[in-house]
Amino acid sequence: MLSRLKFILPLMAASALLVAPTAYAVPAKAEAVIAPQLETIIKPKASTADHSKFKELNRNFQTGPQVTEACLVCHTEAAKQVQHTKHWTWESTDPKTGQVRGKKNIINNYCTSPVSNEKDCMACHAGYGWKDDSFDFKVEKNVDCLICHDTTGTYRKLPGDAGHPVYKRVEFPKGSGKFVEPADLKKVAQSIGMPSRSNCGSCHFFGAGGNGAKHGDLDTSLQHPGKYLDVHMNEKGLNFDCTVCHATSSHQVSGSRYNVAAAVKGPAHIRGKKDESPAACQSCHSDKPHHEAMLNQHTDKLACQTCHIPEYARNEVGTEASWDWSQATIMGPDGKPTVSKDSAGRRKFDSKKGTWVWDSYVIPEYRWYNGVSTYKVIGDKIDPSKVVQINDVGGSPNDPDSRIWPTKVHRGKQPYDKVNNYLTVQHTAGEDHTALWHNFDWQKAIGTGMKAAKLPYSGENGFVSTEMTRPIPHMVAPKEDALSCAQCHSKNGRLQGIEGVYMPSRDSNKWLDMVGWTLVLLSLLGVLIHGSLRIYTGKNKGQHK
Amino acid sequence: MLKVLGGFIAGVVVVVLVAYNSMGSMMFREISSPYGVEETVARIQQNIQNAGNGWSLSGLRNAAKPIELDGGNVLPVLMIEACSTKYSGPILKDDSLRFLSNLMPCKISVYKKNDGKTYIGMMNAELIGSLFGSMVGGIMKQVSADQAKFIVFDASKPAPAMIKGTPGAASSGSGAGAAGGC
Repeated sequence: MLSRLKFILPLMAASALLVAPTAYAVPAKAEAVIAPQLETIIKPKASTADHSKFKELNRNFQTGPQVTEACLVCHTEAAKQVQHTKHWTWESTDPKTGQVRGKKNIINNYCTSPVSNEKDCMACHAGYGWKDDSFDFKVEKNVDCLICHDTTGTYRKLPGDAGHPVYKRVEFPKGSGKFVEPADLKKVAQSIGMPSRSNCGSCHFFGAGGNGAKHGDLDTSLQHPGKYLDVHMNEKGLNFDCTVCHATSSHQVSGSRYNVAAAVKGPAHIRGKKDESPAACQSCHSDKPHHEAMLNQHTDKLACQTCHIPEYARNEVGTEASWDWSQATIMGPDGKPTVSKDSAGRRKFDSKKGTWVWDSYVIPEYRWYNGVSTYKVIGDKIDPSKVVQINDVGGSPNDPDSRIWPTKVHRGKQPYDKVNNYLTVQHTAGEDHTALWHNFDWQKAIGTGMKAAKLPYSGENGFVSTEMTRPIPHMVAPKEDALSCAQCHSKNGRLQGIEGVYMPSRDSNKWLDMVGWTLVLLSLLGVLIHGSLRIYTGKNKGQHK
Repeated sequence: MLKVLGGFIAGVVVVVLVAYNSMGSMMFREISSPYGVEETVARIQQNIQNAGNGWSLSGLRNAAKPIELDGGNVLPVLMIEACSTKYSGPILKDDSLRFLSNLMPCKISVYKKNDGKTYIGMMNAELIGSLFGSMVGGIMKQVSADQAKFIVFDASKPAPAMIKGTPGAASSGSGAGAAGGC
């Protein structure tokens, strides 16, 4: 009994010595900043003006520009303001690199370029009448107020009308048997309001010509989203409109993929602080939003979205993973243009446009990103032996302005000039004999497109693989569904491809591991030897007694 | 003698432990699919419809949907339900076996995992059937053979459309799912 006590008492003493310091340990201070109460964020929607009582709006408008002229009687500066925005110019200059980009100048990975296709593409221009390069960007009555301010849901702009709304009943799509009714412009003008999700979504949900096709984190499911899909836009919860985050001043909408604030630092400030992008999460949540200090330590390496948007396109709508233009002009077995759909009913092939691959509940691809993307603008040289990056995403682990971001990488194949080595501009939309979707002739389509782009075309085209990368900022999941530690801190975790940062459980050092395990084994051996000796010597003493 | 008995008991314990540990993976199978979730579902559905032997689709459920409606997120899990009257009939006719209706209709689940790949999960009908005597074992062996054909894909054939819901089923009551075979 005594020998046992001799063994147990020192063991207890040693344990007590080890445990005692923890009594003085204080939990690490969490620097969490709680987002302010909603009342301070969401403004009441009731307007101080009843537009149906305005004399200027009490007339039967025949065209969109007539409505704008009436709007400008009171809102004298509105058109001038809009004319300084990307929604009007389709052009922007990168403040960091000086590169002039925007839809007008770049070639994207979807419909490629609006040049020579303006009559169709301008269905999503906040203006009227842009049908070719003769469009006058200074005419104020051509600013389209209603596309952003209509609250009736009846105001529609269709491809082919150069940005004008439907003025007379029309079958759309042609041959479908479905008809679009013209909007009552007087009623629409008298019912205007602040932009809602419907207004923004009428274009941004349908990028690349299909619901959810382009973005992956923007589609019609955000019209009436549940909590699971977006914790901020949840219709039965916070119910944010787009403009709550994309706060607007003088019609300048904050938060653009062209100027992404990739690494916002500092406390929450909501609105009012002049910075480059109040649309960032940190504007409300600060860069130390968690109660656990350990989680806050991640914010200098990770974008909020990395953990809080575990997947994008989290619905049946899905999003396009790739678009292969090289398959366009292939006809059906009967020699006529054909279309087909995938198993989920989404477009899969169209003789006009090629093939698509769709996916939903997509795991993002992660990469370092500092908010700067350099785009391929029309005429930029390419190396066709490599995958052409439509936008080179800036950022590195050593850049203090970089964070690890979730992205959608859209892959495709696009036509290029084999002699001049640049991506081509093609005239796709239209009823004329050179339009690809009318005559299915690449040479004619590229010839017309390049002429409109004012670039020479050699007459020889090929197809090159392309990639376009977009950061994923929407579809923020409830905090309970954020990525768990192990989803990144593991050998085959989400961030297995991220270089330049040491991640416990993902990374290891052979020598360090060897030293550690040797220490563990030696300790175990020491304990075993020590214990054995104690037992052995205790037994001997007992025998002596 | 004591040593022999001890060795025997130890052997039994080891066998039970091994069986307990591996029983789960023996009762269910998981394979990866070369297609996305929807196309995998559609191709399996098509295979079921073409399988003969009385097979027909009983329904398609998305087990993730109720969780989404409750505000949570899980990757999609689509459960294809199928039944064959040829196999279900004899079992359902026998009072002593009617409790096995719990296993009906047969389910094949198609789901995505965090690696972004699509997987197919299904029950090992043959093994489970063998636990319930020769008659059930024999039927379930045939079910198992048919199930193996459900997941053979012909890449040369175009992707069919996914069939949503329960084809031809009544909405509720004892007639529900009548057209689905079970």
